Amino acid sequence: MAVSLTRSAPPAPAAEPAQRRAPEPESKQRNWLHRFDNKRVPYLLFSPFFLLFAVFGLFPIVFNGIVALRNWRLDDPTLTGWAGLANFERLIHDEDFWNALVNTFGIFILATVPQLLIALMLANLLNRKLRATSWWRVGVLLPYVTPVAASTLVFAVVFSRDNGMANWLLSLVGFGSQSDPLDWRAYKWSSWIAIATMVNWKWIGYNALLYLSAMQSIPKDVYEAAAVDGAGPWRQLWRITVPMIQPVLIFTVVLSTIGGLQLFNEPMLFEENPAAASGGSNGQWQTIAQLIYKVGWKDLNLGYAAAMSWALFLIILIVAALNALVTNRLGGGRR
Amino acid sequence: MERFAKRGVALVAAGLAGTLAIAGCSGQSLEGGSDKAADGQITLKVNFWGDMGLDKLKAAYEKDHPNVKIVLNSGEYNAQHEDLQKKLVAGSGAPDISAVDEGFIVQFRGQSDKFVNLLDKGAASYEPKYLPWKWQQSMSADKKQIGLGTDVGGLAMCYRTDLFKAAGLPTDRESVSKLWPTWDDFIATGKKYVAATDKKFVDSGTNMFNPVLAQQPQGFYDESEALQMDVGPKVAFDVSMKAIEAGLSANLASFQPNWDQGFKKDQFATLACPAWMLGHIQDTAPEQKGKWDIAAIPGGGGNWGGSWWTIPSQGKNTDEAYKFVEWMVQPAQQIEVFKTVGNLPSQPALYKDAAVLDYKKEFMSNAPTGQIFAATAEGLKPQYLGKKNGPTRVAVENVITRVQQGSLKPEAAWPEAVKAAQKAATS
Repeated sequence: MAVSLTRSAPPAPAAEPAQRRAPEPESKQRNWLHRFDNKRVPYLLFSPFFLLFAVFGLFPIVFNGIVALRNWRLDDPTLTGWAGLANFERLIHDEDFWNALVNTFGIFILATVPQLLIALMLANLLNRKLRATSWWRVGVLLPYVTPVAASTLVFAVVFSRDNGMANWLLSLVGFGSQSDPLDWRAYKWSSWIAIATMVNWKWIGYNALLYLSAMQSIPKDVYEAAAVDGAGPWRQLWRITVPMIQPVLIFTVVLSTIGGLQLFNEPMLFEENPAAASGGSNGQWQTIAQLIYKVGWKDLNLGYAAAMSWALFLIILIVAALNALVTNRLGGGRR
Repeated sequence: MERFAKRGVALVAAGLAGTLAIAGCSGQSLEGGSDKAADGQITLKVNFWGDMGLDKLKAAYEKDHPNVKIVLNSGEYNAQHEDLQKKLVAGSGAPDISAVDEGFIVQFRGQSDKFVNLLDKGAASYEPKYLPWKWQQSMSADKKQIGLGTDVGGLAMCYRTDLFKAAGLPTDRESVSKLWPTWDDFIATGKKYVAATDKKFVDSGTNMFNPVLAQQPQGFYDESEALQMDVGPKVAFDVSMKAIEAGLSANLASFQPNWDQGFKKDQFATLACPAWMLGHIQDTAPEQKGKWDIAAIPGGGGNWGGSWWTIPSQGKNTDEAYKFVEWMVQPAQQIEVFKTVGNLPSQPALYKDAAVLDYKKEFMSNAPTGQIFAATAEGLKPQYLGKKNGPTRVAVENVITRVQQGSLKPEAAWPEAVKAAQKAATS
């Protein structure tokens, strides 16, 4: 054995490739499969998502962009062809668009800021040792489970001018009277508050649960150490809890930015005649999403509506990025 | 590993196949949606709004035609028209038969290629039977007839006899009609009513604006589609402003829940009544049977509303659809609808039919609705309604609502209305 080994060793340089080549068919195939398994299969496995996204997400966005550059009116089939940037130019001079933009941001701020702050407080409370913990935790999620259409219709009654519950409450504390009730739909500020209330009601519990789940992962000894150092509950919340759940904070801020700027159902159903999509008699609370619907499906000007959608898309990107940046800075810039 | 890889590939393949299958299925059901079942059953989908008195007709027709099933789909007025427009553009999904109102017929007759030309189905023989203007309104520029008329508006003033009595006003329809030969007299009567009862007299300023506008020789647009605000609309707007300033309006948006509540809570005592409104009153406040009556409208005749039956050409059973439409516009059925909901037929021969002339509406204190509305309909000279009539009207109504809400001063309102109308005209 040893002899044959030493004897065969000298011609090795030339023979080796040949020897290796002998078992090649099987091993190379294995190798190929192995590599395929490692390198390709993961892509194949998640490709359905991207295929579906391409069909139902990317294509519409791109197609929308193309439509935005064209004339396309449903009520006048002859008016067609490329419009260039005319739709976007019109957008810049369109009072309705700026009005809707102001409304959208106004409602967005009225809805998002209290929403996330209250959710944070609520999560902080829920994070303590309470009786019937699960009952409370499930309870805060109930508004989220309620269909928007159902809850909004109830709120529309609450905020109605005659015999509305909101006006009744106000009259109890001395504002307004039964004979001269506040018309919630008549003014910008009152309609914004009404709509922001609906949004807050729906999303506070949802965000609170997200915060809560993040809070649960904070080790208890950090709080104990802080308590030993003399930090009160308020200080603990802002100095320990908030920085430590920062990723979730950013996530909720981005999510509510997207949701807030696309606000549609609540303002739509707040209107006495929902099909009008005009957001009140003078567009007091018409949001951009509502305006897009109105321009596209009531004025039947699809090209212009597409331009508005694209503008909204860009605005959301910018605002969400800004928000994430600011939240990041506030939390100490860890990420 | 090798095994796993194979399974992985299989999984992916299965996943893709599944996705495709889902997509494939939905695609099929979209296109397939066959209305014809194996046994020759035909389903006709009919879209309209409110109550057009079709329930009895449907039952009768289905009984005589066992192979036809009729599906009635009543929706909101604007939503139904907008939905039809979307489906016409999409090329599928439209109902077999769709009602189209006066306010939208101009928009749709401009797209006559998307509707069945009823002349091809033999509708020409009906031309002499219709009010000439009614026949013309649904006729496209290239002489295609897209609709057969169902009803016309006609105008009258409905009022609550019990509330009038409580306010010390006369209650029988002749004396009430004499109270208001003009709109100024109407507003004066309203002031008396408000002073006596501390309640509002009319439902909203917009329901003053619309009937007055309908009485004008010209509406928002002239026949060249140019916006004309300073003639008809100005007159109507001024009347509505006067009524609001006199404190007559309950500020309830028409056809909305608060308006319906307003009927039940006696929030207004008069309501401008085209014939089709009677059906709405009796459906909304059935317990007010016998408390309503009908008087003449200030300022004379005028038309407000009225519809056509149209057949979108994308349907699979246009022949059967036409048969049903043809049957619905026959005198017997038109009279039946008139009796159930009050819609006034658009074929003048029926105004001389004893069944219409002698008919007394029990719900409206036995008012002879046939005589009242036939008289206003025959003397009509209808307005030309432009393509943008619908949105323009909504825009001006919104300005009136702002005045009623107190966020706009009446004297500053007219320029705002003109601005809003111009915007709607170019939207």
